[in-house]
Amino acid sequence: MGFYLIQTLNALSFSVLLLLTGLGLSLVLSLMNFVNLTHGSFVLLGAYVGAWWFGSGLPWWLAFPAAFAAAGLAGLLLERFPFRQFYARTHLMQVLLTYGLSVVFADLMRWGFGAQIMSPEMPELLRGVIFLMDMPFPIYRLFIIGFGLALAAGLWFAVDRTIWGAVVRACVVDRGFVETLGLDTRRIFTAVLVISAGLGGLSGALGAGILSAYPGLDEEVLILALIVVVVGGLGTFRGTVASALLLGFAMTFAKVWVPEFSNFVALGVMAALLVMLPSGLVAQKTRQV
Amino acid sequence: MNRIETVNRTELLRAEGAAAVPQLGRRILSRVALALAVTAALGGPLLLAGDYQLRFLAEILIIGTAVLSLDLLVGFGGLVSLGHAALFGGAAYAAAITAQYWGADLIVMLAVGIATGVVLALVLGVVVMRTISLFFLILSLIVGQMLWEVVFHWREVTGGADGLRGFPPLTLHAGVATVVLNSGPTLYVAAAAVAGLALLAAHCFVDAPIGRALVGSRERALRMSALGYSIPAIRLMALVASGAIAGAAGALYPFVNQYVGPNAVHWTMSAMMIIMLVIGGVGSLYGAFVGAAIYLSIQTYLSSYTDRWQLLVGLIFVMTVLVMPQGVVAGVRSLLGRRPAGGGGVS
Repeated sequence: MGFYLIQTLNALSFSVLLLLTGLGLSLVLSLMNFVNLTHGSFVLLGAYVGAWWFGSGLPWWLAFPAAFAAAGLAGLLLERFPFRQFYARTHLMQVLLTYGLSVVFADLMRWGFGAQIMSPEMPELLRGVIFLMDMPFPIYRLFIIGFGLALAAGLWFAVDRTIWGAVVRACVVDRGFVETLGLDTRRIFTAVLVISAGLGGLSGALGAGILSAYPGLDEEVLILALIVVVVGGLGTFRGTVASALLLGFAMTFAKVWVPEFSNFVALGVMAALLVMLPSGLVAQKTRQV
Repeated sequence: MNRIETVNRTELLRAEGAAAVPQLGRRILSRVALALAVTAALGGPLLLAGDYQLRFLAEILIIGTAVLSLDLLVGFGGLVSLGHAALFGGAAYAAAITAQYWGADLIVMLAVGIATGVVLALVLGVVVMRTISLFFLILSLIVGQMLWEVVFHWREVTGGADGLRGFPPLTLHAGVATVVLNSGPTLYVAAAAVAGLALLAAHCFVDAPIGRALVGSRERALRMSALGYSIPAIRLMALVASGAIAGAAGALYPFVNQYVGPNAVHWTMSAMMIIMLVIGGVGSLYGAFVGAAIYLSIQTYLSSYTDRWQLLVGLIFVMTVLVMPQGVVAGVRSLLGRRPAGGGGVS
């Protein structure tokens, strides 16, 4: 019983990381219809910044704003050039451009941070464990769950319930109309991309505590985030949450039950879902013309 | 009204005919020149290059053939697959495993490779055919990664992370004589033959009604299905043709380096093929070979000078997407003032 509680919490903390990464990607993909494969690079950048910060002796909690800012700044620069020119292009061209950029960034980061695995020295407060039903569970994972869920709830509120969220959603439906109302849609898109990149960096820093930072992390994260967003269904908050939970739990429990073929089973579950529901768990109704 | 139209049309036809005669002559001339150039380009290395370079050229031709098969999907079907390495690498493993038991007869290897490619393409197709664009990309990626998991963990058969090495040399039974294809020149000739046949097959496929229907399904899927075409069937056929070509290329792959590892199945290999395809030119069939040559040359020759070769490949790739979205082949063509190649698929 205790074992399964611990595994459930493990799965939950992994799901929250997936959710944060997925939500960042989903903001840009669903709201702006822009396939941003450099998202994994933002996550890796955040992970490196976080890992460095934890080890530097500065106040540990500032690592998260720092990772957010670093990735957000990278997003801002990239949005100026060349993302902006590609919003109107086909998905294929966006995929090509952003994948190429992620290859460049991966090599730049290998150059800058070295090729070895960076495992940060965690602060005293987060290093301990608490006992749940006589089983030890790291406090840091509980922190991730709480922090991540709060952040996701805040994001949902901002996009779904505030006037700014409404403006962003309106930009996607009819950009020209929003322009007519006197709003600068280019600035709105810039803001969304910066927030998305920042979220990627933040989840990287959060994950750095358990996954550490290493070259290749960007690709792994990117693939998982893409699967989460696409299986969830484009443009739905609920879908992304549901598929992040599904993938997190599938991967964790597959590792418990069939360790040898855990990824195979988890991928198989996602593939089966996508085959049964070809436009995602929560599909938006679209009209073909 | 009618008469005027008829006159206009005949005049138009005549004008076209008049223009067509020198054009035809020029076209034949350019075809001959092209054939001579290709023969020289393929035959030259045999006389000039050493064993190592010829093995390298064979690898370019083999990977280029796999990229060519991907071009059928991406360039003509608009289906960007991130699981294409599964077809190529799966066939490579099948050939390597068969060779360990039955010996490596070229014809048997090609048959095994093509069969594996077709079977994997059918599996991929059955899973993937209901979706399009981003969903196709992700689903093909997931299916490809599932195969990678199998290859990586099925240690007894595939060698796991170490891969397989030490196969018998590739042989070809020609009548009574048996040719052993284990040196650079022989492997190069075999690879060139397979690449040439694959190029021919791809050309035939693209020019056939099925190829046109494939382009139609890319451009206006809804109209095509209104006309009575079955879009999933067209795409499945393209996928099978592509799988067969990728499988033929994959069958030769283990014998060039005497090694096949799980990386040949990994999705990053698929991404690499897409990079090569884009550098060479999406929708231009022989652009696939140009792209493979550029990428592999950078990888092989530059990596001995600098660790930053991936950075350079990435930058070249990004610059290609930004400046020459039609690829190097079409880019050079338009520099020479000629219209870009048909097909296309990017805009």
